Amino acid sequence: MNELQQELFEKQLLSLSKGLDYPRTPEIAGSVMTRLHGATPPRFISRRLVWSLTIILILFASLMLIPPARAAILEFIQIGVVRIFRAEPTPLPPPDQEIPATTVPMTVTPVPTSRPLIPLLEKLAGEMTLEEAQKALDYPILLPSYPPDLGKPDRVFVQDAEGKMTILVWIDPQQPTQVLMSLHLIPPGSWAIDKFDPALVQETRVNGQRAIWAVGPYPLRLRNDDFEYTRLIDGHVLIWKEGNLTYRLETDLPLEEAVKIAESLELAR
Amino acid sequence: MDEATLIHHAANGDAMAWEPLVLAHQEAVFRLSYLLLGDPDDAEDIAQETFLRAWNHLKRFDTTRPLRPWLLSIASNLASNRRRSAGRYLSALTRAFRNEPVSSTSIEEKSTRHLEASQLWKAVQTLSVPDQQIVYLRYFLDLSVAETAEVLKIAEGTVKSRLSRALDRLRGIIQQDFPVLVEPRDGQEGNNA
Repeated sequence: MNELQQELFEKQLLSLSKGLDYPRTPEIAGSVMTRLHGATPPRFISRRLVWSLTIILILFASLMLIPPARAAILEFIQIGVVRIFRAEPTPLPPPDQEIPATTVPMTVTPVPTSRPLIPLLEKLAGEMTLEEAQKALDYPILLPSYPPDLGKPDRVFVQDAEGKMTILVWIDPQQPTQVLMSLHLIPPGSWAIDKFDPALVQETRVNGQRAIWAVGPYPLRLRNDDFEYTRLIDGHVLIWKEGNLTYRLETDLPLEEAVKIAESLELAR
Repeated sequence: MDEATLIHHAANGDAMAWEPLVLAHQEAVFRLSYLLLGDPDDAEDIAQETFLRAWNHLKRFDTTRPLRPWLLSIASNLASNRRRSAGRYLSALTRAFRNEPVSSTSIEEKSTRHLEASQLWKAVQTLSVPDQQIVYLRYFLDLSVAETAEVLKIAEGTVKSRLSRALDRLRGIIQQDFPVLVEPRDGQEGNNA
């Protein structure tokens, strides 16, 4: 591109970019001043986290007035690095008990959205081939052999979350812009993951070991010593532990299918 | 009160002096974060964090320099860290699973100008992060070469050479994948993209 062409192209960029439709700038000054006056330590706390914690604190405070609730509310379920806090003293359904269909509110079933995910995945760091990922990791990548036609993951990411966490993503062949399921392999010492009062938490078994099936929506918090990140999760998640690794399978499939997938993990061939 | 005086007061612990400075620069900080992350909630988090970090380091800030490039530099670093994080993945997945009605006619309703700007943004998003940063600062936020150099902490000459290379790449991408930006508009000759 010669100088004249570059100058014209620059003018075009300046002109075009002015037409971009930005979201309205939120009330940042007010929030910043509130946090300054509240002497909140400077760290990442998302608005959703603030809301989630506020709701949880209110719920916690009100339940603490009821004596039988106290013991239950102070407990949490832990599978690997994942902790699930429950605000209700309701005992978990036993592993073999079928969940009545009506237990799960219809609203928690993710409705397919036309919003494409793939461009967002493009922004993720740490993408590599399965082979490269295996070389970079000090633990073996196990892949599901069920369903038989699932195949290898379409996208593989290895992210350093104080321990190399692997994220395997399968794209829905029927809707190439949608994710069919994802599997996290989280090593020990990695970021802690907290879930707050999912709509449904059921204890189940994967290869005879205790596992948890959580159904959103619920706030999920990732945290380490100096970073905290919270998001609302609407999907269904199966969490279990094998050896040192915590596995987290996120899918729209029902529990039975998710367990089959989990139990089909084997060394990649 | 001018900006330097407000910064001086704020650096001495006067939070009330910080508020007008946040108000003055919040839009630019939010927009840069939004451009880099593509999500308004993430951008708001980053913008808040930018002003809190800047507040905590004000004593080290040279008050003779303009504030905006420094703030944009902090925001740019925070946004880059955020997009590399695992949380970013969860954010993407959450959005994909969330039942958000996306109007198929929204694009049609947008003016040509908005559509072209949106296409341009998509084209820039395919560039590397350093290329994106420099293009956003120089053209989307309309910073001068000097201000862009200040934000990126590089020499003005380096800004120019990096911009030139980034524009070459962007032009190639536009020609190949974004024909709407290449086709001449009514009453115009073929453009140079």
